[in-house]
Amino acid sequence: MSVGMRLHIDSDFDKVALLARAVRALCAELLDAEAADAVEISLVEAVNNVIEHGYEGKPGRDVGVEVSVHPDRIVIEVVDQAAPMKSGALSEAASEIVFDETNIDSLPEGGMGLALIRMSMDEVEYCAAPGENRLRMVKRIPAPAG
Amino acid sequence: MLSEEQRNDVLIVRVDEKRVDASRAPLFKDEMTRRIEAGHTRLVLDLSGVEFVDSSGLGAIVACLKRLGPRGDLAIAGAKGPVSRLFTLTRMDKVFRLHDTVEAAVAQMSS
Repeated sequence: MSVGMRLHIDSDFDKVALLARAVRALCAELLDAEAADAVEISLVEAVNNVIEHGYEGKPGRDVGVEVSVHPDRIVIEVVDQAAPMKSGALSEAASEIVFDETNIDSLPEGGMGLALIRMSMDEVEYCAAPGENRLRMVKRIPAPAG
Repeated sequence: MLSEEQRNDVLIVRVDEKRVDASRAPLFKDEMTRRIEAGHTRLVLDLSGVEFVDSSGLGAIVACLKRLGPRGDLAIAGAKGPVSRLFTLTRMDKVFRLHDTVEAAVAQMSS
């Protein structure tokens, strides 16, 4: 048994906060604040990536978010019709962010999104099918204590 | 999106938006850069009113640090909950000094 919702926005950074608020509201009863924060940052980074890289910042394209809530997990899929991420981009993204903190000029100003998603979610998969890409992210719901 | 207060030689810049995300990061960076180019070298960024920062917002803060250069100083005050966790998760807490309050940040910078 699961419940879910589907949301769509235009590929516009101004609309990402709306998605974040909706998904956050759905998670509020199920996750503690830290886990809900993890879901929110992952969703925002995933949608930002689609808009920035997939659609190259162009407005007027569709970004879909499908959320399904199961007894033990929340599954969030970000769906787009852009050119896919290059094969291996997700698995090659570092699972931690590494830099030399003593060298200010070397600090990253971007490219942290996939690593943040991998650090924040329990499972992440990317599937590029003809005409549609799906980033599937899973956050487990802790079993009630006792 | 920013308001400011000068305390001795420290400029306190308060972010008046709840979210510093991809839609706001470019404006944030421009407004900070303008202050840095006006000659401010010691800044405290007050994030106590901010509820969410994504990697674009964080990248914009990093860009400000680079713009300040080695003689500048940029401290963060009031980062809480998810904002503070983003600094930890990305290890940027090793780069920026995070203070609970503006007062603590200013005191440390003046000492």
